[in-house]
Amino acid sequence: MADLLFYVLAALAVAAALGVVMSRNPLFSVLSLLGSFFCLASIYLLAGFQFLAATQLLVYAGAIMVLFLFVIMLLNLGDETQYVERPESLGKRRVAIAGGTAVALLLVAVFSVGLRPTQAAETASAADPGATSFAPTPVFQDEAIDDLVKVGELLFSRYVLAFEAASLLLLATMIAVILLAKRQRGDVREAAGWPWQKGVEQ
Amino acid sequence: MSVPTEHLLVLAALLFAIGTLGFLLRRNVIVVLASIELILNAANLTFLAGSRHHSALGELNLHGPIFALFVILVAAAEAAVGLALVIALYRLKQTVRLDAAGELKG
Repeated sequence: MADLLFYVLAALAVAAALGVVMSRNPLFSVLSLLGSFFCLASIYLLAGFQFLAATQLLVYAGAIMVLFLFVIMLLNLGDETQYVERPESLGKRRVAIAGGTAVALLLVAVFSVGLRPTQAAETASAADPGATSFAPTPVFQDEAIDDLVKVGELLFSRYVLAFEAASLLLLATMIAVILLAKRQRGDVREAAGWPWQKGVEQ
Repeated sequence: MSVPTEHLLVLAALLFAIGTLGFLLRRNVIVVLASIELILNAANLTFLAGSRHHSALGELNLHGPIFALFVILVAAAEAAVGLALVIALYRLKQTVRLDAAGELKG
């Protein structure tokens, strides 16, 4: 049952991802992305990673999506169909399609070659040298879920340096965003782009 | 869920490829940023698949999810900076088309 659910969710995730790339309207694109995130969060949940599923929903679906939608609404970005594709970009498009397909085939090929056997399979084959060295793909029947206490312990012991670096990254991001998005007074081009600020700023 | 790890990895590869396609094909900066988010999600799925593959019976390996957590954090920072750049570009050019920003092209 859970397996069937996984394949349904995987198909939905791929369909939503195609929707991100295909749709002409950036608003639909971002909403498809939201659907893809939901499907992936459900897959994480099925695989037992409850903490990451919750984080995915909170950070991606909650924060990042709102940021995307906010910018689309703020800049009033409508349909993309009004733009005419320049002829020179058609060649680039063919190159891009070929490149994307090549990347897809390469990744599928690399992943379908086979995986290293798990530790359990290795110890089993070490105990029984006569067994074939190519262990079959392990099938997961156990319903293990992640332990939030252990996640926290790892985060504050083994990964504490990365954790602190993350806080620095967030601080740097905050400063950069404030500087980038800040209105610069007396900018002529800005006054042309934001007509409702004329008279207020100058 | 008793899905073999390969199937998770193939899903991740498909998402990565679709994200790459969007990144290369589209001219709208917002859609390009959304494609980058797709690529990062595919990377997360790969981390989780690997973590699950190397789990002992009844106890999940937790290094994958922690790495995925950091990937989510970097994705959030990247989206914030990227969208601030979109606003700056829109101020300069009144468009979010990538081919409008070609001044540095040699």
